[in-house]
Amino acid sequence: MGGKRKKGESEGMEGDNDSKNNNKKMKQKSEILPSSVKNKEKRSAVHAKLKHQKKVEKRKKLKARDAAEKRALELGEEPAPKQIPRTIENAREADETVCMPDDEELFAGNDADEFSSILKRDRTPKILITTCRFNSTRGPSFISELLSVIPNAHYNKRGTYDLKKIVEYANNKEFTSIIVVHTNRREPDALLIIGLPDGPTAHFKLSSLVLRKDIKNHGNPTSHMPELVLNNFTTRLGHRIGRLIQSLFPQDPNFRGRRVVTFHNQRDFIFFRHHRYVFETKESKQSDSKGKKAKDAKGESIAKEKVVARLQECGPRFTLKLVSLQHGTFDTKGGEYEWVHKPEMDTSRRRFFL
Amino acid sequence: MPRTTTVECPGCPPFRALTFDALGLIKVIEARGKEGGVPKVVERWGDPDASKCVLAASIDDRKTDPLLAVARKSGMVEVLNPLNGELSVTVSNVNSGSARPEDDAIVGLHLFRRQRLELTSRSCTLLTCTTKGNASIRSVEMTDSPADSGASRTWSVCASGNISCSLVDGSESYAIFGGKGVEVNMWDLDKCTKIWTGKPPPKNSLGIFTPTWFTSATFLSKDDHRKVVAGTNSHQVRLYDVSAQRRPVISFDFRETSIKAVTEDLDGHTIYIGNGSGELASVDIRTGKLLGCFLGKCSGSIRSIDRHPELPVIASCGLDSYLRIWDIGTRQLLSSVFLKQHLTKVVFDTNFTEEVKHSAADSALHEAQSIGEVQSADETEKLPTKRKKSSKEDRGSRKKASKDKDGSKKLKSKKRSKILENEFADDA
Repeated sequence: MGGKRKKGESEGMEGDNDSKNNNKKMKQKSEILPSSVKNKEKRSAVHAKLKHQKKVEKRKKLKARDAAEKRALELGEEPAPKQIPRTIENAREADETVCMPDDEELFAGNDADEFSSILKRDRTPKILITTCRFNSTRGPSFISELLSVIPNAHYNKRGTYDLKKIVEYANNKEFTSIIVVHTNRREPDALLIIGLPDGPTAHFKLSSLVLRKDIKNHGNPTSHMPELVLNNFTTRLGHRIGRLIQSLFPQDPNFRGRRVVTFHNQRDFIFFRHHRYVFETKESKQSDSKGKKAKDAKGESIAKEKVVARLQECGPRFTLKLVSLQHGTFDTKGGEYEWVHKPEMDTSRRRFFL
Repeated sequence: MPRTTTVECPGCPPFRALTFDALGLIKVIEARGKEGGVPKVVERWGDPDASKCVLAASIDDRKTDPLLAVARKSGMVEVLNPLNGELSVTVSNVNSGSARPEDDAIVGLHLFRRQRLELTSRSCTLLTCTTKGNASIRSVEMTDSPADSGASRTWSVCASGNISCSLVDGSESYAIFGGKGVEVNMWDLDKCTKIWTGKPPPKNSLGIFTPTWFTSATFLSKDDHRKVVAGTNSHQVRLYDVSAQRRPVISFDFRETSIKAVTEDLDGHTIYIGNGSGELASVDIRTGKLLGCFLGKCSGSIRSIDRHPELPVIASCGLDSYLRIWDIGTRQLLSSVFLKQHLTKVVFDTNFTEEVKHSAADSALHEAQSIGEVQSADETEKLPTKRKKSSKEDRGSRKKASKDKDGSKKLKSKKRSKILENEFADDA
């Protein structure tokens, strides 16, 4: 009703020349703005019409684009370049802390930091895994899976020891890192990685845990040293976290087993996956969907034969998000933080820290 | 709901600051231009080397012949020229027969201001304090052969425990020391005696006793050595009055992590505190009331705060590798510079000004520029004055080039540039 009244008014008010244009505009305006219609049924009808129009336009555009591309291919010309969809990762805010490849201070800092002795293979990693004081349901199975993923890991029950005492004990026994799995409401929900002897402490929030038995067609990991893939740790903070994760695993360039552990960082969430892979030659013209999953060497497409890596997932699957990175060993009250997440930092949806 | 729109950082007034970091690098950050200057790193001195991590620094920024003392992890104390980073003298702080420098690291360093009379002798006096409590005052000749000459007094500040903060007051005759297990104590430097020791506050109602651990301390004003503000590891800030009593006069809590840096304001009753999770706040110490927090996405522990002697700005640096400049009145972030390493200290260079008009004719001969300035083609570039340095020939030629750019702007500077050109023509 309101819409109709507006139309009537406008026709009466305008002059001759402008009337048509203004009419069109007013018409368009009253069509485009469903919020100006007070009647709910009418309003929803207007809205549905609008949506339908938009859908039709979009489909038309897509068809036109496809037809143009097909025509161009038939004629032998170059098709128009494909448009890149805008994603949040594409639109990420420029971060000045991104590591540049020619930064000598970065390399010097790497040499001087706490992980350099492990990463240069002077020390072999030895991990101590423990839990919080109360542990139940999914915790123990998660820990047993972690023990199979990370080589040279030992599990000790927590008892009622203070974490600071545990750090001392581990230093005495020459461990290189401690992992503490914290459980809340019968679900593991936080991971604390402490580097030793006085390395940084990273506190992660753990979510989306899927155990091995819940994965369809899972495989069983072997006891070879896994290959480590760290994706997308670009900023200085991300680089430091990447090195922290790297120091958990032994560094051996001549690996033999076909086992890969992946930590993929996207939008500040670190996704952990554990696969077994096998290279196969496959005769196919188009790239297989499975081939896309291969994060290591993808085969070259030679005419008809293609080398694809087939993956079989084994081991747990979970996501981590960094809550805080503390400079020394675990000491929440007296310690100093290198990075702690504060809500005042979340001012933009396109800003990420890792 | 956090703010989701971006607020433009207003530009900061011209300043020059030096930052020291965990790899032993000294970076010089300058901001130029009247309004809206963006600070940039103009120089970087030193090579990245973790054993040369800077632990403490002190600047004696007189107008003529300023000096900068830097204490490194390897036990060496270096005296540099803050204008160009040249090493004047290196002093080793390791006493024979004592612990290795890594165990007994230097915690506090102070470079005493020199009187005019000493200018000719070119020596400087340093006070150093280590974690085990060995404090020493020594005067060092700044000749080519670095030797420990003159008076050198060493004494032990504490019997047990570790010192973590030490400071000298404005009149340079009193020093305070405090640390883990060590109460704040004040020493008279002329006589090397302890004149005052603090006492912990009385036990609270639950009977819980927190062990003493002071992580930062400062004198409240330059003229008055009697009021001392100290921050503890258990997020408490305490005001002590030496002339009144041994227990703290006021003490209040601030957030939840240890107070890592305390600096006083020039008005004598405001302090700025920074803690281990990167929170910076200003407090009125007369009442103990929090005036406000500086919000600006600082996510790492604040290691050092410095207040500019003239402009109403403070600089803070810390473990998140950023140097941040804040406006005191509005508590707004003016700018931040990413410096790639964990920063341990920041000092302002107070003699950096950009007024060309104020320079007198005699200082025209000694005018000097930093190297970075010459290469940048900034339109609003002006020469810093009040610096006396011998200009070298290549600098002179480069100076001419930039002087020409500058000279096109103002009549006065044009005239002066002509004078300078003539002078350099004479020199060259």
